[in-house]
Amino acid sequence: MFCFFALLQNSFFTYFNLFGGVPNLIFALFFLLIFFANQNSAIQVVLWAVVAGFFLDIFSYSFIAPSIILLVVLGLIIKKIQSTLKTRDDNYPAVYYVPLFVFSFLAYALIISIYLNYIEVRKIAFVFSFNIIFSLIYSLIFAELFFYIYKRWLKSIR
Amino acid sequence: MNSINKLSINKKNTHWLKFLIGGIVFLLLLFILNLFVSPVRNSFLTLFSPIQKTFWAAGESSSGFFGSLLNSGSLAKENNNLKQTNQNLLAQIAVLQSIEQGNQAQSLVSASCQNSGFKLLMAGVTGLDDNDILSISKGSADGVAQDMPVINQQNVLVGKVSKVYKNFSKITLISNKNSVTNIKVQQSDLTLPEIDGVVRGNGGLTAHLDLIPINSSINPGDILVTSSLDKSFPKDLLVAQITEKIKNDQKPFQQAKINLFFDVKKADNLFVITNYKKPE
Repeated sequence: MFCFFALLQNSFFTYFNLFGGVPNLIFALFFLLIFFANQNSAIQVVLWAVVAGFFLDIFSYSFIAPSIILLVVLGLIIKKIQSTLKTRDDNYPAVYYVPLFVFSFLAYALIISIYLNYIEVRKIAFVFSFNIIFSLIYSLIFAELFFYIYKRWLKSIR
Repeated sequence: MNSINKLSINKKNTHWLKFLIGGIVFLLLLFILNLFVSPVRNSFLTLFSPIQKTFWAAGESSSGFFGSLLNSGSLAKENNNLKQTNQNLLAQIAVLQSIEQGNQAQSLVSASCQNSGFKLLMAGVTGLDDNDILSISKGSADGVAQDMPVINQQNVLVGKVSKVYKNFSKITLISNKNSVTNIKVQQSDLTLPEIDGVVRGNGGLTAHLDLIPINSSINPGDILVTSSLDKSFPKDLLVAQITEKIKNDQKPFQQAKINLFFDVKKADNLFVITNYKKPE
């Protein structure tokens, strides 16, 4: 699935970019799996981060590591935040999904952009160009779609 | 009670130790993987290149389909053809103006050398990442080397080869955030002095014009071509057209919004100039 999404976002969706922004399907899928992962399973978080990060890095021109490390850290932070927001009846409410996704996506995009473009900290506003915002909006649409499909699937198997 | 406390501290310490060892092993594995990054990436992308090419073609045809639906019929195609014709004409104007500007005889020789002397290697586009890096289907096995200029069939500058693998290469587009290209503004009045500046990539397939001297007159519609100052690229390749001047009296240079001639959506095949030698 990650491989399929990697190929799709680097070729097909290039033609459907929104003001230069393309959806980050790999990140959307990674976030979905992390969001629904077991609360105490750090191994599961690391595993998904390695797989997703590998596909993000293999299609970039950099080393194979920055996305993996960043996703491991982000994954663990997301789980930590989720554990503090835990509710009694529903562990995975949609109301947490969107803000957490926006936070983690922006954190990922900002850090990776600084790393890949060697941008100085004083030019941070430049990093937050419009295409990152459009990429976020585009990815969020897919992330929401994945969320409802996954939730529906979870309900059906219970 | 004390022994229970000690036991829990020991447990915590063991937990952190495990975490630390795990982290070190993880980083070590990543380091080892990066020792073989070129062959790993080359084999991976070579393996999936046919699928990626199919997706690329599917994207192209479906975007054309939706585009023509939105533009009621064949407008998209017609517009595309007109743009291509326009770019061809602009390329011819750029060469003609260069010929007239300098010593005519000498320019004629150099222009003809530029136009016919270059060895071009055609390469198919297989992908584009969100940092404005294109992948093409030719690599070191086909004679591609780092820093080679890449153009399209209309003599429009695309970028340069930034990384070469055995069977494919990565092209840094001129819209990449790290890309800075020396250009000159094509003047309609040939008696006017040459205006030099730079095109800086913004990312997201866009760029802007910068470092134009404050006393130089630039206007929307002006054409930008590569200048001889930029030794990375041959001169007089089409780059962009000015769309809007950005006025800021506090800055020592003028800036402008530009429209790059290179359109990634129409980049099925690109050409790598394999024998371009940087001037001394």
